[in-house]
Amino acid sequence: MRARRPASPPDPALDPQTPFALVLKNSRGAAILHALNPAARRAGLRRGQTQADARAMIPHLICKPADPEADARALTALAVWAGRWSPSVSLDPASDGLEGLFLDVTGATHLFGGEAALLAQIRDRLAEAGARARVAVAPTPGAAWALARWGEAGGEGVIADEETVRDHLAPLPVEALRIDQRTLAQARRFGLKRIGDLYPMPRAGLARRFRDGAGVGLVQRLDQALGFTGEALTPVRPPPKYRAWRTWMEPVEDIEGVAARLSELAADLSAPLLRDGQGAKALTLTGFRSDGGTSGLSVRMGRAGRDAGIWLRLFREAGLGRLELGLGLDALMLTADEVEPMTALQGVLESEAGTKQAESLAALIDRLTARLGEDRVLTPEPVDSWVPERAERWRPALGRSPTAANDDTGRRPLLLLDPPEPVEAIAELPDGAPARFTWRRLSRRVTRADGPERLSPEWWRPRPDDRQVRTRDYYRVEDDEGGRYWLFREGLYGREYSGDPDERAPSWWMHGVLP
Amino acid sequence: MTVAPPLSSDLYPEPPAPLEEACASEPRDMAALLLFALSRRIAGDRRPVLMTAPRVWFREHGRPYGPGAAGVPLILAPTTTTAEALWALEQALRSGAVALALGAVDGASLAQTRRLDFAARQGEAVGLILPRRLDGLSAARRRWCISTRGSATDPDDPRAPGPARLVAELVRGRGERPGAWILEQDDETHRLRLADRLAGDGLAAIGHAGAPSGLAA
Repeated sequence: MRARRPASPPDPALDPQTPFALVLKNSRGAAILHALNPAARRAGLRRGQTQADARAMIPHLICKPADPEADARALTALAVWAGRWSPSVSLDPASDGLEGLFLDVTGATHLFGGEAALLAQIRDRLAEAGARARVAVAPTPGAAWALARWGEAGGEGVIADEETVRDHLAPLPVEALRIDQRTLAQARRFGLKRIGDLYPMPRAGLARRFRDGAGVGLVQRLDQALGFTGEALTPVRPPPKYRAWRTWMEPVEDIEGVAARLSELAADLSAPLLRDGQGAKALTLTGFRSDGGTSGLSVRMGRAGRDAGIWLRLFREAGLGRLELGLGLDALMLTADEVEPMTALQGVLESEAGTKQAESLAALIDRLTARLGEDRVLTPEPVDSWVPERAERWRPALGRSPTAANDDTGRRPLLLLDPPEPVEAIAELPDGAPARFTWRRLSRRVTRADGPERLSPEWWRPRPDDRQVRTRDYYRVEDDEGGRYWLFREGLYGREYSGDPDERAPSWWMHGVLP
Repeated sequence: MTVAPPLSSDLYPEPPAPLEEACASEPRDMAALLLFALSRRIAGDRRPVLMTAPRVWFREHGRPYGPGAAGVPLILAPTTTTAEALWALEQALRSGAVALALGAVDGASLAQTRRLDFAARQGEAVGLILPRRLDGLSAARRRWCISTRGSATDPDDPRAPGPARLVAELVRGRGERPGAWILEQDDETHRLRLADRLAGDGLAAIGHAGAPSGLAA
């Protein structure tokens, strides 16, 4: 047997026995320690120290620049993944949202076999995904924060409830209350070292003495931890009202397995919707990968619905087969992101055939949109403008019903060139119809012409190039081969062009083809 | 110089087949082709029309313009591949939600067109493939070639282009004789009707010989 040799010399930064720190420049430009490994902490270094001080204490300290943005991205991704344990996961707003997650597990712990089992599962899963974590369960975010960081047994999972939270917090240092350095120094000066020291103090006096600039004082933090004051958290994803999820011991490794489980989830999700008389307009399928990542797929529908079979088809068309599985998925979650009340009888005024027709059209648009994308299934929307290219806008057809345009302006082309194409034209009179024109390198002789139809410029809408917006004179012309075209001359001789060399001469444009 | 096809004395087959094919005899005839295609809806059918074409098609020929196609609710699906376009056509036809599904698709196989034909029957809709050239095998019941003609006279202004006219040449029809008809757009209804043959349209006499009339199926 041959001994395996490392492919490259060992990186000292990866050795847990070597003191290692990430440094960040503070506002004054000094490099300060931002994060430390256990070895560095054992050596007596602490966060917030300047790099120069730290180097003086530990000359062999290895420092690398920190990347807070990448950290924030990674933590947000982890927060999405943690959605498997709670519909509402938020980043800890303290320390710029880089250090912790809050999971609201109210009413969800029984799904995991109790709070202790849930904490064990969270720790194990995070460890498998390569993240060390300290966890705690408490009735308030403040208490959970304190117990996870300062609780006994190194964050191995303290579980506090309403009755015990006071006693759990009492022995912890006041730092555990998420207070800033100034407040902390002040508290120490008063001899308030433990949270328990604060309990017998008169509240009014405390509140007066401890008021920091941000308005979150010691008393408020204490009240938040003990649950006297509420604390609002902002979840990374808005918690869906309806969600269905399943986990498995063995990860699912192929798409067919995912599809089979998706149909179970769809049935799970549609039942509560039916109970509440709701229908889903947008669904998201989230797969939780065993490597700590998530993959998602969303579909949208023009009309609210709860037919599990239709959902499955939409997911297949939206690319279920391309879902990133990684090493396998061990949990799947299906959420209804947008719901709408569904009345069993929709549109009583519509005839039955009309309703059925509208439904099948909405289903067709949903299906096309799921496969092709929202911006590739379009329907025209009339816009109040008399500039022809602006009078109609193509909008995603999802959720709207195509309507026919009215033609009350005269004869319009069936195919509109947008933007118009430049044309070389010769007119017998400067402000008359063209006699000949060259478009796309073909010269055409005009036999019949109708016009002009004068369209005034929308002068309140400046051109992007800041040039003057000018009047258009439109002509319908027919050439000697029977082709019919819609041309316009931009600019009026006389009023908008006097022959001055600084001015643009009126020019001809091809705007559309008539049948 | 275009060769005028022989005008047919047969009845113009106005009721559409479930699946037809039509091509423009020259690129400039694309608007006429689209007008013809829209006229292949079953009369009185108020369901919308779906059109699918590659993005470049819209850049080259322009985009369908609602005010120029008054009374037709449109759905547009720009696609990138032939497979995608055929899939969209089949879905639309089968759903029964559209009156007409148009697809600027090239190189559809016989099996693919059979699927479309079947889907159109199922959805009681009309499918129209608009290839660049009419070649290859196809399950389409009729194959048309469309070219623009000089317009009819406008009674109010003889110098202005009048109602649109086009020649629809049936290149191949299953159980039908090939032929050509001059169609004219009705000012009121915007639909195509057979042009009045006596009005004088500058075409060769009926029965013009020597023109390729395609293969009879």
